[in-house]
Amino acid sequence: MIRFDHVHKTYKGSVVALKDVTVDIKRGEFVFVVGPSGSGKTTFLSLVTKEERADSGEIWVAGKEVGSLPPWKVPYLRRNIGCIFQDFRLLPERTVYDNVAFALEVTGRPRHFVRSQVPQILELVGLGNKMGRRPGELSGGEQQRVAVARAFVNRPLILLADEPTGNLDPATTAGIMRLLERINQYGTTVVMATHHQEIVDAMRKRVIELDHGVVVRDQARGVYGMVGA
Amino acid sequence: MALPSSYLLRETGGNLARNIVMTVAAVVTMAVSLTALGGVLIMRQAVNKATVQYQGGVELDIFLNPNASAQEVNGIRQELVSMTPTQIKKCSYVDKTAAFTEFRQMFSGQPDMLKVMTPSRMPTSFRCVPAKAQNVGQLAAEFSKQPGVYNVGYPGQEIKQWLAHFATLRNVTLVVAGGVMIGAIALVVNTIQLAIFARRREVAVMKLVGATNWFIRVPFMLEGLVEGLVGAAVAFVITFTARNTFASFTGTNPLLPSEPLNVSSHEALLTGVLVVVVGAAVGALGSAFAVRRHLSV
Repeated sequence: MIRFDHVHKTYKGSVVALKDVTVDIKRGEFVFVVGPSGSGKTTFLSLVTKEERADSGEIWVAGKEVGSLPPWKVPYLRRNIGCIFQDFRLLPERTVYDNVAFALEVTGRPRHFVRSQVPQILELVGLGNKMGRRPGELSGGEQQRVAVARAFVNRPLILLADEPTGNLDPATTAGIMRLLERINQYGTTVVMATHHQEIVDAMRKRVIELDHGVVVRDQARGVYGMVGA
Repeated sequence: MALPSSYLLRETGGNLARNIVMTVAAVVTMAVSLTALGGVLIMRQAVNKATVQYQGGVELDIFLNPNASAQEVNGIRQELVSMTPTQIKKCSYVDKTAAFTEFRQMFSGQPDMLKVMTPSRMPTSFRCVPAKAQNVGQLAAEFSKQPGVYNVGYPGQEIKQWLAHFATLRNVTLVVAGGVMIGAIALVVNTIQLAIFARRREVAVMKLVGATNWFIRVPFMLEGLVEGLVGAAVAFVITFTARNTFASFTGTNPLLPSEPLNVSSHEALLTGVLVVVVGAAVGALGSAFAVRRHLSV
């Protein structure tokens, strides 16, 4: 589903973000990307959505080589990818319903489809009774649920999560992780960049560890730190 | 993918309302520059018409002394006949009655003038059209020396002066219109940039969930188009009203060469349509430039 083949990425000022990264993530996998700040986790995710371009190497996403994709095809690639972030990135002046509906509207879905899908997905994330609220009236956990609903409402093949629990307390974090696991069970490939040791250790999923842009560990059913370290 | 009209209306209207001060500034600047442009175009038409009129048929009025003898009048008449058709194209004699009838028509709006004038006080004249318009000055000089001639008048001088004034005014207005137009484009670009900045979060989310470039750009482009069209509509009304005022002013003022400087309603309407098209194009191009520079996947 996602394949990095000897990918290099350097930012201006010769800051090396990724160095000769080669990984292969299969359809339906749940993968944690871990590592200290500045290790290249966010760059890794940005290359998948083509927000950033690799300097060299090949990146394959959902069967397409991202580097050779013309700009006009990028939006269609992104429709296969849902994204959630630490800061939620919701539109504060729109209601919960509108925030989720927005993701369908911009892809040109008909109104009746939007009306049927949005309540369904909000029920799934446990916010069926808060559709008319604005993000400012919700807790952090609830806002992140709205973001998950927006990311999943298009039924993407891939869900990228960049520190989605960074602003949440442990109980809310557990709720969000259950939600992501459920989405993964529907067949969506989930790639999550995180610093959250407890959840990585508890879930025992595949772990890719980055350090200064280099993959230093790729371990099935891994934990946050090296076993035995 | 066709963009839903409800989405376009909502987004474009929302953008215009959010940036109301900049929107008004852009519309006003657009209206001013397009009014200047419309004025220049109408003036150009008027001057062109006047030039054609001037070249096509300049009249020479040889006014006779009220106490000129019949012999003097006959002498002038014979000379005019001898010059036809080589130097004079055609000639007619305007007697006191005909002159008074013309006078009444010309000063129909001024009863005081009509009261003091009687047919017996009107000067008689020969009204001639020279074979070559450019010789009118030479012919006038020649006849003004003849015995029995009071004065020789021809409108060419006035028209020439008018044309010179209008040409200068036209060029100055064209430069001003060009300058203000550049300002208008800059304001449209700036307004759209501000709109994009105000909605940067929304735009980021749109990109994230896979909105196409056109889906994001079109509402901003429509915003510029609407600003251009509204500015042009204001300019159209001002230009058209100004043309009507000018036409009625020159039409009633006997001292102004009304006929040659008249631009018909039809011509003014065409100019107005052109102004609207230019306004729409400027608005659309300005916004297209802004979105191309600031919005890409």
